[in-house]
Amino acid sequence: MATTTASLTINSTDLLTDELSLSTTCTLTQTGTNTGVEDTTGLNRKKVISTAKGTASGQITLYTADDFAAIPYLYIKNLDTTAGNKIFVYDDTTSGDPLQFQLDANDWAFIPMHGDKTYKAYATTNPTSIEFMVIGKDQ
Amino acid sequence: MATTTAAVTLSSDLMSANISVSASSTLMKAGTTADGLDQIEYAVLEIATGDEYDLIANTPTATKASKLYVKNHSIDETYFVAVTQNSQAIGKLYGGDWMFIPADFHDAAADIAITSNGGTNKIEYALIHEGTTLLAT
Repeated sequence: MATTTASLTINSTDLLTDELSLSTTCTLTQTGTNTGVEDTTGLNRKKVISTAKGTASGQITLYTADDFAAIPYLYIKNLDTTAGNKIFVYDDTTSGDPLQFQLDANDWAFIPMHGDKTYKAYATTNPTSIEFMVIGKDQ
Repeated sequence: MATTTAAVTLSSDLMSANISVSASSTLMKAGTTADGLDQIEYAVLEIATGDEYDLIANTPTATKASKLYVKNHSIDETYFVAVTQNSQAIGKLYGGDWMFIPADFHDAAADIAITSNGGTNKIEYALIHEGTTLLAT
């Protein structure tokens, strides 16, 4: 069985009086079990050329609803270095395409998603490069 | 200005070539690469199963940057918390899982709410931000 881990560190020496040093690691498992995840999209690097949701093309599909069972883990990073050149991640399944979160330049996110929704990305600037990967259990 | 960094490392032997992905960012105020986030809300809570509770009680300002970290410390792998923003599902954290996102507080109603499932879940969360609108007493 494969072992997949995700580690986070948040550090600051001057945000608080004492040093902030937060670190955590989780092993990515199939939903409700201790069995490790088995599948991944692999690491993708793509240019987002759409500057709006709902337009005909140009958004990048990060994950297609029900592609993986239950909890797919999404990693995404905005590779742009100019502040204000944002990536918007939205839920393309729910009515109104609600925004999930936004990544400014150099921002990254990691989140266990709801597997029954399609997630897409658009940008403020055409093009904006992203890298992303989904890890989970195929079905 | 405060300097705060957040880094992620993903490691796996799922593929023939081992996966080792690392990313790091300095947490900046909106629209700048020169001024770091300088406020934080950090807590550990036990959340009973059933009701939905606001995790972020204050109202972050839409045009300002906010980074949200949430970890579910439950050791039972069947327990989970559902995370919503503005009543929209954004994440589901089973025991041991964590999430980190640049939160999109796009309007005054875009609060973060959490529902505990399976039993009482212990949650650790941090909101690193550049300003919130405090609720009047």
